[in-house]
Amino acid sequence: MSQVLHPIEQKLLKSLLEKQNLTPEDLCEKTQLSIDQVRRGIEWLKFKEIAQVTESEKNFVALGKMGNDALEKGLPERQLVNYLKSIDGFSCEMSQAKTQLKNEFNPAIANAKKNGWIEIYENRILLKGYHDTTPEERIIKLIASKSPALSLVDELGDKSTLDSLKKRPEFLTFTSTKYVTVNLTEKGIEMAKNVSGDAADVLVRAIDVESAAPTVFAARSHPLQDVINEVREIFIGLGFTEIVGNQTQSSFWNFDALFTPQDHPAREMQDTFYLKGLHAKNIGTKNQISNVSQVHKKGWRYDWKLEESKRLVLRTHTTCVTIKELADSKPEEARIFSIGRVFRNEKVSYKHLVEFNQVEGVVVGKNVTLRDLMGLQREFYLKMGMKKIKFWPTFFPYTEPSLQTMVYNEKLGKWVELFGMGIFRPEVTVPLGIKNPVLAWGGGIERIAMLKFGLDDVRELYNNNLGWLRNVSKCQ
Amino acid sequence: MPVVTLHFDRLTRMLGKKISKEKIVSTLPFIGLDIEEETKNYVNVEYSPNRPDYSTDYGIASSLQGLLGIKTGMPKLKIKKGKDAIIVNPSVRKVRPFVTAIEAKNGKLDDETISQIIVMQEDLHNGIGRRRKKTSIGIHDLDKISFPLTYTTTGRNHKFIPLESSHEMTINEILEKNETGIKYGHLIKNSEKVPIILDSNGNTISFPPIINSEQTKISKNTKNILVEVTAIEKNAAEDTLAVIANILQDAGFELFSMKINGANNSTPLLTPRSLIIDAELVNKILGIKISIPKMVYALKKSRLDAQGKGKKIICTIPRYRTDIFGPMDLIEEVALGYGIENFEPTIPASISVGQKNKITTILESISSVMIGLGYSEVMNLGLVSQRVLYDHTKRDASKIISVSDSKSQEHNILRNAILPGLIDTLSRNIHETYPQRLFETGTIFLKTNDEIKEEIHLACVSAHNDVNFTEIKSVLQSFFKTTFGLACKTTTSSNSMFVEGRSADIFVNNKIGEIGEILPEIVDNFKLRVPIAGFEIRLTGLY
Repeated sequence: MSQVLHPIEQKLLKSLLEKQNLTPEDLCEKTQLSIDQVRRGIEWLKFKEIAQVTESEKNFVALGKMGNDALEKGLPERQLVNYLKSIDGFSCEMSQAKTQLKNEFNPAIANAKKNGWIEIYENRILLKGYHDTTPEERIIKLIASKSPALSLVDELGDKSTLDSLKKRPEFLTFTSTKYVTVNLTEKGIEMAKNVSGDAADVLVRAIDVESAAPTVFAARSHPLQDVINEVREIFIGLGFTEIVGNQTQSSFWNFDALFTPQDHPAREMQDTFYLKGLHAKNIGTKNQISNVSQVHKKGWRYDWKLEESKRLVLRTHTTCVTIKELADSKPEEARIFSIGRVFRNEKVSYKHLVEFNQVEGVVVGKNVTLRDLMGLQREFYLKMGMKKIKFWPTFFPYTEPSLQTMVYNEKLGKWVELFGMGIFRPEVTVPLGIKNPVLAWGGGIERIAMLKFGLDDVRELYNNNLGWLRNVSKCQ
Repeated sequence: MPVVTLHFDRLTRMLGKKISKEKIVSTLPFIGLDIEEETKNYVNVEYSPNRPDYSTDYGIASSLQGLLGIKTGMPKLKIKKGKDAIIVNPSVRKVRPFVTAIEAKNGKLDDETISQIIVMQEDLHNGIGRRRKKTSIGIHDLDKISFPLTYTTTGRNHKFIPLESSHEMTINEILEKNETGIKYGHLIKNSEKVPIILDSNGNTISFPPIINSEQTKISKNTKNILVEVTAIEKNAAEDTLAVIANILQDAGFELFSMKINGANNSTPLLTPRSLIIDAELVNKILGIKISIPKMVYALKKSRLDAQGKGKKIICTIPRYRTDIFGPMDLIEEVALGYGIENFEPTIPASISVGQKNKITTILESISSVMIGLGYSEVMNLGLVSQRVLYDHTKRDASKIISVSDSKSQEHNILRNAILPGLIDTLSRNIHETYPQRLFETGTIFLKTNDEIKEEIHLACVSAHNDVNFTEIKSVLQSFFKTTFGLACKTTTSSNSMFVEGRSADIFVNNKIGEIGEILPEIVDNFKLRVPIAGFEIRLTGLY
């Protein structure tokens, strides 16, 4: 038996096994439960098909005005007999009896005749004999004995007498009430036998574990934050140390230091957010500024302007944080990474946000290679649970060679572009005094989160729709 | 990124060999192209503007020939000596100092070639031409021109019939009324004199960098073409010309040089250049060990010329490859020619131990404490709207920080507080079960004396019918005690967001935040129907 019964159900079952067809009131009495508990228990049992409920009607009867008179003075025919008995000769004129019995004269004559007590002869009534008690009188007394409670018609028996009394006006009043009775189904009888056995004591303490409990929502971290944390842990596991930096940056570190010329389309306001009327005061050391400006003039052949490099932007990538760290500390060997918000002046759509999270890692080392960079990618994706990857060439202004990773997504059944990577150009590293090759790679985290949670609209990650936040599963 | 359409039948003709569609489509990514759309007859690819030679199917076909081994080595430009000339008037120095040009003769143009050329011209204008500022291109029907041409300047009342127009317009009219004139007019600023190319009959050929004349428009019947490029920088002009010259040569035209002189202008040479790379460096950077002949062949597959010399390789690079700066670019060309798919990834040995940033550790702890207190994390953007940050929340907007030219009114102000965003979040969840208890940590931006400062804040809100100051203060106290082992003090204050008498400043030594019950008016502004209490504190400086 898989179902476990509530203590209320247990008690009801025991009572019903002793006696079927009980009303809720009966069950209250037997189980000492409140009527509400009993009613609730009956509903549960009914739902589980352990008990069935039958609706019936109860008919009650009480004495009417004439009935009460009859109780006091006797039935009209009894009054007639008594009158006749008091007269010598046991007879009288019809008119005498009429005076004596008034309104009750007619029924008295009719019933006395029907009972065979009198005879009418030449306008005289003769008493022939009589019974001490008639069935009618017995029933009237019976009903009266229960008064003021109502008598159940079924309990009185002698239906024909009741019917004949019913015909006499105002002798009896009838009322009826609907009621339910409960009895066990076959399944219920089976189950009740078990309940009354030894198992009962154990089962009494158990509850119905199969029914649904009320919903509670766990307070939790944001799913996107979970993905960010997961990515961070992987980087740390791969031996990378986290660095952080400002989201507002000078154009110098966001663009110039990364060999992106000042007239490059990516630097235009339609792609990059510039802070209205704000300029960086100190952008770098004298050496850094002069070396970077030289490499721009030589490589891109244009008039490099200091003012332009001081314009404050909302960083378009985290690479500005990385490159400044490398330029300031000039490590010969290093594994560092950063995760944070980056900004693009995009029209918001299912594909684009103005702001998203990016991760970027770099490896500095004397002997690091392009194959190492590819290997780090493969390791990262493996840890993210993505096994099938391939590499395609691509272009970034500040890396050469540059590759992008394509990852096969099982859910979508296609290759998806994920992180980009490359080796920092000498035009980036040399002016800033970075001697060894720098492998760099990174990309947007929202993309990974979308694949993970099966979203096709990036905005959903920032809608903070509680319907989603409360219900999306934490381990996917 | 710009897009080029590749028709399979056309491409097959250009490749000179029958290659299956599947092979073509699977090879395209390995020459650096992204597939945007593929149909039965054509494929659309995106290319990076650093490869202007990919601006037509001719350039892409040339690259594919290399990687597929159909034709390798550098495509050579054959330029015959021509007789036509452009004379440059020194007055252009102040407005647009350089012009260069070439003639392409005895060719045929079909509809698809014309359409490829038009798209190419637009892409080159936007990329290498920096939206026509640096270089701009004019392509003309040579037979409608009488030589020599003069590149000079003219006044703003100069008249001609601009491209796609039926009547003469003055320079001013073009700048005010013509669509292209309106779009690019800013490039000639307020200069009284504007650049102009005239032919020997005084007819206007072009008004660079704005628009060509209708008279010299190319069509299907054009057999001979003049390409002129004007620029503010001479090298950029010749780079652009080289790209177009190669395309026209591939399209079957014969190239003829033009004599150009005056004001530091000269006939373009468009000759290749040489770069020497160290074979050892190639292997070191790529992490492979291949021989010099293999490197040479890989470079040739990338449509460069190369020759081994001792431990070095001399590379010859055609003029149109403007993306090649130095040895690292050539190393990439070796990698592509060798085949990216042939690189087996390796894991670099490392003894370094990774470490989280201190801020991250603190924020993780804060998050776990807030979650323990029954608050769920939400994430909002730092770029928000004035409506949420100031108007609806009645906050002081005197130190507002806005960004220029945002494409969205909902995202043009940098947040200086997190709390308004949380109320906005509540307003988007009025149909969800209450209580709603939310927190967020993140960066906020402050402006002081024209300098920008970033801080990390924590804010939280509790929204349900019975919320009050005491509930949220309990959370605040418990937060400080559990996270930092600190006691905080709250003192009566006035705050535009909070109900008077239910509003306090939060102190841990100094003032670090504010707490209170949100004004019913603000609750109304956000169309919320439950009371809200919340606080916001500055975390920067606490750890």
